[in-house]
Amino acid sequence: MRHKYIVEQVERTELVKPIESPSSRAKVVYLKDRNFYMLKKDLILRNPLRLMGYQTEGFLPKGGFGAILARAGVGKTAFLVQLALNSMLESKNVLHISLCDPVKKVGLWYEEIVRNIANQYNVRQMDQLWEAILPHRFIMTFKVESFSVPKLEERIADLTEQGIFFPQTILIDGLPFDETARGSFSDLKTLAKDYSMRVWFAVRTHRHQKPAPDGMPAPLLDVADLFEVAVELQPEGKEIHVRALKGGGTPSDHPVLVLDPSTMLIKDKRVT
Amino acid sequence: MKNEIHKVRNIGISAHIDAGKTTLTERILYYTRRIHAIHDVKGKDGIGAAMDFMELERERGITITSAATHCEWQDHEINIIDTPGHVDFTIEVERSLRVLDGAILVLCSVGGVQSQSITVDQQMARYKVPCIAFVNKCDRSGANPFRVIEQLKDKLGHNAVAMQIPLGLEAGFNGVVDLVTMKAIYFDGENGEHLRIEDIPENLLSEALERREELIDVASMFSDELTEAALEDEVTEDLLIQAIRKATLRRDMTPVFMGSAYKNKGIQPLLNAVTNLLPCPFDVETEALDSGNDETPVTLSSDPEKPVVALAFKLEDGPYGQLTYVRVYQGTLSKGETIVNVRTGKKVKIGRLVRMHAHQMEDILVMPAGYIGALFGIECASGDTFAAPGISLTMTSMHVPDPVISLAIVPKDNKAEVNVSKALARFTKEDPTFKVYVSDETGDTVISGMGELHLEVYVERMRREYDADVTTGMPQVAYRETITTRAEFNYTHKKQTGGAGQFGRVAGYMEATTEDDFVFENKVVGGAIPTQLISACEKGFRKCLTKGPKMEFPVTGIKLVINDGASHSVDSSDMAFQAAARGAFLEGYAKAKPVIHEPVMKVVVETPTEFQGAVMGSLNQRRAIIVGTQDEGPMCIIEAQVPLAEMFGYSTALRSATQGKAQFTMEFFTYRQVPKGIAEELVKRKAEEKNAA
Repeated sequence: MRHKYIVEQVERTELVKPIESPSSRAKVVYLKDRNFYMLKKDLILRNPLRLMGYQTEGFLPKGGFGAILARAGVGKTAFLVQLALNSMLESKNVLHISLCDPVKKVGLWYEEIVRNIANQYNVRQMDQLWEAILPHRFIMTFKVESFSVPKLEERIADLTEQGIFFPQTILIDGLPFDETARGSFSDLKTLAKDYSMRVWFAVRTHRHQKPAPDGMPAPLLDVADLFEVAVELQPEGKEIHVRALKGGGTPSDHPVLVLDPSTMLIKDKRVT
Repeated sequence: MKNEIHKVRNIGISAHIDAGKTTLTERILYYTRRIHAIHDVKGKDGIGAAMDFMELERERGITITSAATHCEWQDHEINIIDTPGHVDFTIEVERSLRVLDGAILVLCSVGGVQSQSITVDQQMARYKVPCIAFVNKCDRSGANPFRVIEQLKDKLGHNAVAMQIPLGLEAGFNGVVDLVTMKAIYFDGENGEHLRIEDIPENLLSEALERREELIDVASMFSDELTEAALEDEVTEDLLIQAIRKATLRRDMTPVFMGSAYKNKGIQPLLNAVTNLLPCPFDVETEALDSGNDETPVTLSSDPEKPVVALAFKLEDGPYGQLTYVRVYQGTLSKGETIVNVRTGKKVKIGRLVRMHAHQMEDILVMPAGYIGALFGIECASGDTFAAPGISLTMTSMHVPDPVISLAIVPKDNKAEVNVSKALARFTKEDPTFKVYVSDETGDTVISGMGELHLEVYVERMRREYDADVTTGMPQVAYRETITTRAEFNYTHKKQTGGAGQFGRVAGYMEATTEDDFVFENKVVGGAIPTQLISACEKGFRKCLTKGPKMEFPVTGIKLVINDGASHSVDSSDMAFQAAARGAFLEGYAKAKPVIHEPVMKVVVETPTEFQGAVMGSLNQRRAIIVGTQDEGPMCIIEAQVPLAEMFGYSTALRSATQGKAQFTMEFFTYRQVPKGIAEELVKRKAEEKNAA
C-alpha cells in the first residue's frame, strides 16, 4: 500500500522532479518544466518568514512549535495558509486542522491566497502548479469542544497506517489558549516529536490582556517554553506589521515585514 | 380559490421506509376530508407492507404518486408535495425539495432515527427546510418517544423538544398531553375523529409540568418576550407558540409530536402544528438567478402584484397530454396570460390552469405567489422557469453540466423497445443532465448522465414505470483529449490522379487554451487562402475534434491559428481545403504532445466517525485526493476528488466497509490529466477493442 502511494506521488509531481537532483545525468530539460521549477523556487523565496531571516528548513526544528499571534480578524489564517503553501511548494505534506471553519471555508482561504499570489507575481501557470501541490495538503476540521490530542493521534494514525497521508507540518487554527490547555500542549509536543512534525498555531490575542515585560503576549505565557518560534501580526494604520517575538536569534536580528491587508501578501517595502 | 398567502403551507412528509409515511398521509387526507374512508396499508390478506404500499398507491392514485396534493385544515390550505428520496444528487430532487417550505419528519418510536431518516434529514438541512418531527407508532411494543428525541439530538444534531407527552404507551397508548395548552387529548370515535379534551391525569401532572418547563426553557432562548414572561410566570399559549415558531423557522429547534397514525391518534394536533409552526411561503426567502446579469442571485418577494416568476418542478404524463406542476414564487399566473419560458425564450399562452385534488382536478383562473398548481398543454422541461415577458430570472441555474458517464442499453424485446423510447423521451425532458443518443459505430442506444447511480436509477425507472426491461453494457467514462504544447503545421493536400484535381495548403499552429473547447483564428494575409475557403478550413478542423487522433476521444481546449497557405485557381475547392485542414491537424497534433483528460468527481462521504479510517482507505484505493475531513460529532464528512473511472461500484464497497451506515454524494468537479500508467492501460485496451472488432 505504502509503495503504491509513493508511486502515485511521483506521478503527480513528476513535472517538477527531473531537475531537482544535481547529480542526475545531463538530459533535456523542457523550457516549460524549467519555468515551472523556477516559479516554485521563486515563490518559496518570497515566503514571509524567510524574508524575516528565519533560515531553518521549515523554520522550525522537527517536533517544534511555532505561533502566529494576532487579534481577531488581523490575518492569522491567511498567514498560516502562506506557511502551508510554502511547505507544499517544497513538496512537504501539510495537515491543516481547523477548529473554527468547515473544510470548504478552509479550502477557500487557500484559493484566495493562491489567486492573490498569481495576480501579484503575475504567475500564468498557477492552475497547473496548484494541481501539482494540492496532494500535499490535507484539511481536518473538528468542533472545538470535541477536539483532543488522543483523537488527533487516532486520525493521524488512520492516515499514516493506510499510507494515505504523512503529515510533515501541522497547522492548528482555532485552538483556545487558556489555563486548561497546558496539558494538551504537552501531549501535542510528544505527538509532534513522535511523528517528527512541525506544528504551527494561530493564537488569538486580546486587547485587554497585557503582554509580559519581555513582550510575550498573554495567551502564550503559560506555554512559552514549548514554542521555538513566535511571530506577531499587528495592524499599524493601513498596514499589517509582522514582528518576530521569539526564535532564530534575538528579535532584533529579524526585520519587521509589512503585509498588504487586502491580499495578506508581503509588500516589497520593509520597515527597519 | 383563496388568496391568503399566510394561510398556505407547502410541506413534504419524509420518513424512513416503513415508518408510516403512507399511513400518516392517508390519515391526514381523511381528517381533512379529502378522502372519505380509511384503507389500511396492511390488508387482511397479510401481504407484506411494501407490496401493499405499491398496490395502494396504484389503486387509490393518491398523494404518493402525484406530485402535489392539496387539502384544507382549519381554514389553511396545505399542499403535500412528494419528495423523492432515492437519489440525492440529481437536479430533480433539488427541484422537488426547493418547492417545499416545511416538512414533517416521521420517525418510528421503536426504530428511532434510522439510516433513511439520516439521509432525508441531511437533504432537508441542505435545502434549509424547517421541520417538525412526528414520533409514530407509539402503540407498538417497545415504543419510547423520549429515546427518539434523544436520538434526534445525538444523531441528527437537532435541538429537539417534546411538545407532547404520551398518555400511556404500547398497547395502553390512548392519547397525548399537549404541553402548550396543558390538556390531555383523547381520540374517540371509530376513526379517532372526535377529540375529547380533558384535564391532565394526576399521575402525569408532575411529568407534564417538568416537560413544559423544559419546552419553555428551550423556546425562551429565541424570544426575549417569552423569557420575561417566564420569569414572571405569565407564559401565554400564543407567546409560547410564537417563540417555538420563530425558532422552528430558523431550524434552531425541532418540536416533536407523537401519536400512532395506524390507531388514528395524534394526527389532528400534528395538523394544528403544521398550520401553527411551519412557514407560509411568505416566511421563506427564495432566490432566483438573473440570467441576464451573470446569474446574480436576486431575492423574490411573494407579492402577487409583481411580475410573475414560476418554477415547473415536475412533469406528469396524463391522458390529456403533459401536466406541468408549477410553483409560483412571485406575481400571479392567470389563465389566458402570456408567459416566457426563460430557458428557451419561447412565449407560451396559459390555456388551462388547474389545481390538483386527490385524483381529480379543478380549473382555476388565477394562481398567486406561494401556490402550487398545474398547467396543461405547455411544452417544457422539468426545472424550467416561467416568467413575465421582459424578466430573465431563473429559479435554477441555466448551466447544465456535460454528462460524464455513458451506458449502452438494449431493449429485451419488441414491446420493451416501444416503451423504452417513450421512457427516454420523458426522462430527457425531466432531467437536462440525462442525454440519449444512438452510437454511429455500434448502432446502440446510449444513455449518458452524471454518475453511475444516476443512470442506474433511470434504468430501474424504465423497468418499473414503463415495464421496459433493458440489458445494459459496461459504463463508459467520457474521456477527453487535449494538447499540452504549441505545435506548427504546414500541410499540402494534393490529388491529381484522375477526375477533378484537389489542391490546398494550410499552415499555422495549434496551442492549448482554457478559454473554450475550440478556438479558431484566421491570420492569413494577402489572400494566401481565398476568404471563401477559410470556413472550409474551420469545418475541416472541427470534424477532427469529435474523434481525437490519439484515442478517438473528443478533443477539447485547443486553439487553431492559420497564418499561411496556398491555393490553385482550378483545383482548390471547399472539399480540398477541408482535407488539407484535416491533414494539417493530424500533423500538428502528433507534435503537440496530446494527453488524455478524465472527469474527476467531487465525492462527499458522510459516515459515522468509527468508520472514518475505513472510508478514507476505500477512497485512497481509488486514486482519490482527499481534500479534508470534517468532524461533526458522531458523524464525519470526508471530501475527496476522485476520478470517475474509479467510482464504479463504490456504493457497494462503501456499504460493506461501513455496515451500510455511510452514504455518499458525487458531482462532477473538473477534467484532469490521466496519470501515465493509466493512460497506457487505456491505449492498450483501446487497441485490444479495435483488434477484437
